[in-house]
Amino acid sequence: MSISWLVAQAIVNGLVIGMLYLLMSIGFTLAFGVMRIVNFAHGQFYMAGAMVMYVCVAHLNIPFTAAIAVAAVAALVLGAVVERGVLHSFRGDDLNGMIATIGVGMIIEDGALWAFGPNPLSVDSGVSGILRAGPFFVPAARVFAIGLSATVLVVFLWFMQTTRTGRAIRAVVQDSEMAKACGIRAQFIYPLGFALGVVLAAIAGATMSPLFSVSPFMGGTALLKAFIVVILGGLGSIAGAALASLLLGVVESVTSTFVSASLADMLQFALVIVIMLVRPGGLLGKADE
Amino acid sequence: MKRVTLIVAAVLTLFGTVPAAQAQETLKIGAVVALSGAGAAWGDGMLNGAKLAADDVNSAGGLQVGDKKYKIAIVAYDDKYQANEAVTAANRLVYEDGVKYIVGPTGSAPLLAIQPITEKNKVIVLTLAFTAKTLGADKPYTFRPILTTSEFSQPQIDWVAKVKGVRKVGGLFPNDETGQQIAKDVDAAYQKAGAQLAGKEFFERDRVDFVPLLTRVLASGVGAIELDGNSPATAGLLVKQAREIGFPGLIVRTGGPATAEIIGVAGKRAAEGLYVHSVIDPRSERLARYIDRYQKTYKQPMNGFSPFFYDSTHMLFEAMKKAGTVTDTDKVKTVLERIQDYDGVLGKLSWTGKDKYGIAHQISAPFYIAQVTDGREIIVAHCNFSVCE
Repeated sequence: MSISWLVAQAIVNGLVIGMLYLLMSIGFTLAFGVMRIVNFAHGQFYMAGAMVMYVCVAHLNIPFTAAIAVAAVAALVLGAVVERGVLHSFRGDDLNGMIATIGVGMIIEDGALWAFGPNPLSVDSGVSGILRAGPFFVPAARVFAIGLSATVLVVFLWFMQTTRTGRAIRAVVQDSEMAKACGIRAQFIYPLGFALGVVLAAIAGATMSPLFSVSPFMGGTALLKAFIVVILGGLGSIAGAALASLLLGVVESVTSTFVSASLADMLQFALVIVIMLVRPGGLLGKADE
Repeated sequence: MKRVTLIVAAVLTLFGTVPAAQAQETLKIGAVVALSGAGAAWGDGMLNGAKLAADDVNSAGGLQVGDKKYKIAIVAYDDKYQANEAVTAANRLVYEDGVKYIVGPTGSAPLLAIQPITEKNKVIVLTLAFTAKTLGADKPYTFRPILTTSEFSQPQIDWVAKVKGVRKVGGLFPNDETGQQIAKDVDAAYQKAGAQLAGKEFFERDRVDFVPLLTRVLASGVGAIELDGNSPATAGLLVKQAREIGFPGLIVRTGGPATAEIIGVAGKRAAEGLYVHSVIDPRSERLARYIDRYQKTYKQPMNGFSPFFYDSTHMLFEAMKKAGTVTDTDKVKTVLERIQDYDGVLGKLSWTGKDKYGIAHQISAPFYIAQVTDGREIIVAHCNFSVCE
């Protein structure tokens, strides 16, 4: 196999994993944009989505795509409850709000450990095999996951750009005081924005569940990736998250393929440090945010 | 009022202290195991094995040592597979809970970190740590009741190279003490068997996407992939992702027993044909009963390390009984060392390793090579420390 094939295949692998990182991180950046809270429970909501998938697909025999809808609805409710029940009292108190999300994350993780045990579980999407284009290959299961992710992202962007509620959320992200002055009901928008972030995390976990294993501890890696993507792209910037996740995927894949996986992990953080020094607001973020 | 107080005091004495004097004493066994994180499946298996052994003793009325009867209590702390957490747990167990026996740790780094505490305080340790540094004449209180790669890899790899004709192998290992040690052992074993570990990759334990690494291993033209050294969850992901990108060759799991978990993650289809190390003898009814009891009690598939800790905890109880003490660990250790051909659920168990480690604190047990067929292990070779056939 030639070196040029290997380079191209590494880039293809990187773009594929980058798309998956995008779905993991977009809800994280949304929750920050709306709430000004770094949601440290994001990884656990991701895990909760995957666990709902496991229960639906492996035990209740619900079809895979329908099970994703179940996971999304469950997450919407869970997110709204967490916002009203816990984060509501920390509104405007960013630091304590963040610490509260760490606690929420621990409760969800230990709850899952109690309910499902520590052993990894598997979810079958029913898609297998390899898609080939010339000399390049991509596992069909990943193409399926990307297709689902892309659909969810398109629906999400349509909602944010065109609907009244979506515009209201964006208004709150841009300037919550002005938004309130214009009559936007922030009391409704806060839990909705947070819950939407949670829904995206849960859908990411649900979509990714057949690719990786499902376990109570799977959220840690997802949170770390989301964090890196969002810092690179600029907190609160959706376009920045898209650019950063693809960049991260390609850098990680190419370095892992040609040098070593350990260097790839180091390089991610080096990349974050360099971007922070050169563009403190992230690739597409505003420096004053 | 004074009289009332006196009566109350008398009643309390009667019902409070008298029954207490007759009650059994409690013997605490500590456990420093990974109950969360990458090694949780192993840590759970270890702890549950020890707990089932303690249940046996407790349901039979307690452990009779000398003229006292002890109820066994397992005090477990999660070390998260991390050295710093293990040190905190060991300090608590030794200095606060006052335990003299510890089951664990699960990983090599945690064991090396707690050994200065346990050896100094003469605490007997039954560990799962794979590193060669686990045992030594200078660490007389540490025992290893499981088989490690350096015990079983050579005969198994000889068999894979000879019978399956494998010449060029790729291996992916976690980048820590355990992974580095296993990579070294496996590399040497394949060379000795006339094969070559061509692609050797290291990665951090929390990694979940192996497609880039597998792409590189595949590009180097290997005929087999070795999974030794990886946690059950990671090994399952490697099998799944290797098959997803179309790797047609053999996948071999020389390392610790993890078949149920690997199939759980990879699914039956991807795991089909996998060659695994196994300690489960399908002909053993006692072992079948243990597996059944484990699954009924804990509602999850049994990790293959669990019966080792069930048997070795029983061996420890046996040693306490024979030594006639639970506090003098020097005596208990000496009796434990002398146990040979113990009839456990895994078969005949003895202590060995004097030549290799300088101290005979390494268990020897029968083991097998199995092939996964339709989600089950089918034994294809019976092994001892020198040969599989």
